[in-house]
Amino acid sequence: MKNIFKQTGVLVLILLFSMASITTINAQTNDQKLTYVKVEVKGLACPFCAYGLEKKLKDLDGVESIKIDVEEGLVYLTVFKSKKPLKEKLEKIVTDAGFTPSSIVFSKKSFTLKDEN
Amino acid sequence: MISFFLGLLIIFGCSENKKKKQEATRWKFSKEIPLENISPIGIVAEGNFLWLSDVDKNRIVKIDLDGKIIEFFDGFQRPMHIAIQEDKIYVPEYISDTVKIIEKGIVSTLELKENADAIAGIAVDVNTFAVADFYNHRIILEQEDKVTILGKEGHNDGELYYPTDVAIKNDLIYVADAYNNRAQVFDLKGNYVRMIGLNENIKVATGLKVTDTQVIIADFEGNRILIYDLNGNLLQIISDKFNQPTDIEIVSNTMYVINYNGSSISVFNK
Repeated sequence: MKNIFKQTGVLVLILLFSMASITTINAQTNDQKLTYVKVEVKGLACPFCAYGLEKKLKDLDGVESIKIDVEEGLVYLTVFKSKKPLKEKLEKIVTDAGFTPSSIVFSKKSFTLKDEN
Repeated sequence: MISFFLGLLIIFGCSENKKKKQEATRWKFSKEIPLENISPIGIVAEGNFLWLSDVDKNRIVKIDLDGKIIEFFDGFQRPMHIAIQEDKIYVPEYISDTVKIIEKGIVSTLELKENADAIAGIAVDVNTFAVADFYNHRIILEQEDKVTILGKEGHNDGELYYPTDVAIKNDLIYVADAYNNRAQVFDLKGNYVRMIGLNENIKVATGLKVTDTQVIIADFEGNRILIYDLNGNLLQIISDKFNQPTDIEIVSNTMYVINYNGSSISVFNK
């Protein structure tokens, strides 16, 4: 009986280890394929402005996902590395949508969003 | 001398009556309904229920008058100022530039004849549709096969700057001219009729509601509701009860004002 418990425990540990490894590999694969961009925007106070900017950025080639933090005036973009947009292009989209970009930061690692803390 | 005093009494009596009458028609705060994690932009009433567009969560939510969610439809692309006619809910999608219709639990698409760029609001009156075309700074009015464009980008009479809501009442089109900080009225031919709210320093005129006697404007950044008669004469300003108000609904003598940031509904009665 003891042996059965031991064997089950070992199996569970192997399973957990495998799952953790797969998650890490997936994250690494994603990080290899994707680039993360944080755009700080002035005047993003109202939802019509925020989601208007989301609409304009969605049209950008290579965008995998967009998250908007209306309160903080932040836009988080996940883009495919192969189609990484130029900073100037992002600045133009933000400006054309009626806003002023304060800063644009590119990162190899994903940003931590406020509601993910 | 006697007739002079009698005259004064009559004038005083009349002005008191007028004051009482005005007081009776003023909106008074009743209560606040908290919402369950909803960021509302648009509101319409259906019987004893309210429908809200929850823009952050891309859904349309039906709640009871205590704020409890009864049902919801998700999968919308940033739903904004909604409208209702009979049992159909009209949902403008800001991202897809289309209007969806929820009818008896089924979602379909309303074909518009003119392309828009970010539809922020819709009004429906029998077979007439008006949509607020946010990025093109105009209202698209569709009557059967006829399309009329109201306004163009600008700050003068008849020009619009990021319109966010629209209403149709008695053959007139009322527009929340958001970033011109006012409301404007057009006729069905697209002619400019009048301006509303120009003297009240509205910060962002995000939403509006038009009744048989009043035009009510939500000032999103000013955290106020401004109430006018149909000719644009100011009747009442309510402040201190809102947290980024976006839209208004009125059912008989009850007014519901939704708060985007506050995630709540402020309720008023006459």
